[in-house]
Amino acid sequence: MKDSRPFLRLKHVTFSYYSVTGETQALEDINFSVQKGSFVVLVGPSGCGKSTILSLISGLIKPVSGDITFYSEDFAAPRIGYMLQHDHLLEWRSVYRNIMLGLEINKIKTAENLAFIDELLEKYHLSNVKDLKPSALSGGMRQRIALIRTLALRPDLLLLDEPFSALDYQTRLSVSKDVYDIIKSEGKTAILVTHDISEAVAMADTVIMLTKPPCSVKGIIPIEFEKYGITRDEVRNSKLFQQYFDEIWGEMKNENTN
Amino acid sequence: MKTQINSSEGQKDYMRKAKLHKIFISFSRVLVFVGFLALWQTASSLKWIDSFYFSSPYAIAKLFVHDIHDMSLLSHIGVTLIESGISFLLIIIFAVIAASFFWFYPSLGKMFEPFLIVLNSLPKSALAPLIIVWLGTGPRTVILCGMSVGIFGCILNLYQAFEQTDAERLKLIETLGGNKLQKYTKVVFPQNIPTFISLAKVNIGLALVGVIIGEFLAGRQGLGYLIIYGSQVFKLDMVILSIVILCVIAMLLYGILNLLNRKVIARWQ
Repeated sequence: MKDSRPFLRLKHVTFSYYSVTGETQALEDINFSVQKGSFVVLVGPSGCGKSTILSLISGLIKPVSGDITFYSEDFAAPRIGYMLQHDHLLEWRSVYRNIMLGLEINKIKTAENLAFIDELLEKYHLSNVKDLKPSALSGGMRQRIALIRTLALRPDLLLLDEPFSALDYQTRLSVSKDVYDIIKSEGKTAILVTHDISEAVAMADTVIMLTKPPCSVKGIIPIEFEKYGITRDEVRNSKLFQQYFDEIWGEMKNENTN
Repeated sequence: MKTQINSSEGQKDYMRKAKLHKIFISFSRVLVFVGFLALWQTASSLKWIDSFYFSSPYAIAKLFVHDIHDMSLLSHIGVTLIESGISFLLIIIFAVIAASFFWFYPSLGKMFEPFLIVLNSLPKSALAPLIIVWLGTGPRTVILCGMSVGIFGCILNLYQAFEQTDAERLKLIETLGGNKLQKYTKVVFPQNIPTFISLAKVNIGLALVGVIIGEFLAGRQGLGYLIIYGSQVFKLDMVILSIVILCVIAMLLYGILNLLNRKVIARWQ
């Protein structure tokens, strides 16, 4: 059962980039909330400011105005994991040492955390590649390793910034499904950014549609395959998938034609 | 996972041809060198050239054996090697410290960049008389001359390489909770180790050039001193022998760094 408590809320968030050529308003009055354990997908045209929203949520940059609030029972700051567009595995480190990067940085290379990494590698059938260099891995496998590296820090919230966009179509389908399964089985809350509507429908519990810059929320659509007894393995072949796709495309096509 | 097949006939044939080509190139190089020595010796023996000015491989070999026996040559080689080694190490240490400092404090980097560009473009031999006035003659001046040739370029290149570190990788460290020092230790420095080795390959040669210039002008010992002394007293065998030894030293130093480069690159990929 999905927990219905709000986990994160963005309220009237605005953001601008400043340069010598002038100010560029990237975000204008962004409002949405994310439930604990849900998988939220942000869709919007390229360059609309989707990644900026993730950077704001992760705290890498600060909003010009508005509030970004996390709600938790123990009032502790949430741990946030961030997966970028490219895997950025460091080629001079073995796969295992790449996964340990976050633990090293946070100085938490404890026996418990190392055992957790081994458990993740074992669980997702990646133990056999842990001593290899990243250059020996395929693109899909590299992204799986990048996800394990993010999960190693046991984040409460996962931010996924178009992590499949650099993959070919077939690999993308299989890796996105694997990533979805891993995130769900670990019970994580996740926000994925993509401009691929079919990917959004296949993975989301909620799709948030964004406008072209300055970006604002155009609409929020709950994706409810489970309500109709459709499993995630079957979604792409269902009529409901096409209906959701058409609904989002209907809203978004004006945003893309510019 | 990527797999490699090493057992097919096509692969074996390719490997055989590649090996043969490598042997052919190595053999050709030896042949060119031996041919050059033979032509030089013949020209000298048959008086096609004046052996007083151009010497001959045999005369040089004889001088080499003689000077090795009385240890004088070895001491000159040793001095040049030590001075070059110290200059090279100081170039590398100062370049790493300065480039790292500029990366941590980019405003300082921007402030100093034009001055480094000017100093790097300056013909370094123009600095030598000043260095002699400041430090007098001797090893300190020679080492400083050795450093002056490469240090400004080395700092500039290393700083520019640090600056060009993939911004997304730095963002990755930030997303994992890292600070600027961790960006440097986990990404900037390790990512630029191949650049660092390439710069070391160039600078070992430049340090040798600088040291020879220093020995020309302010040395009491070393191969540069031998070259200048030999030319002044018309001992051209000595001059050419010193140049040949310099060639061998440059080749050996380059070879050592090339080997290090290959080992590092293999580890880095």
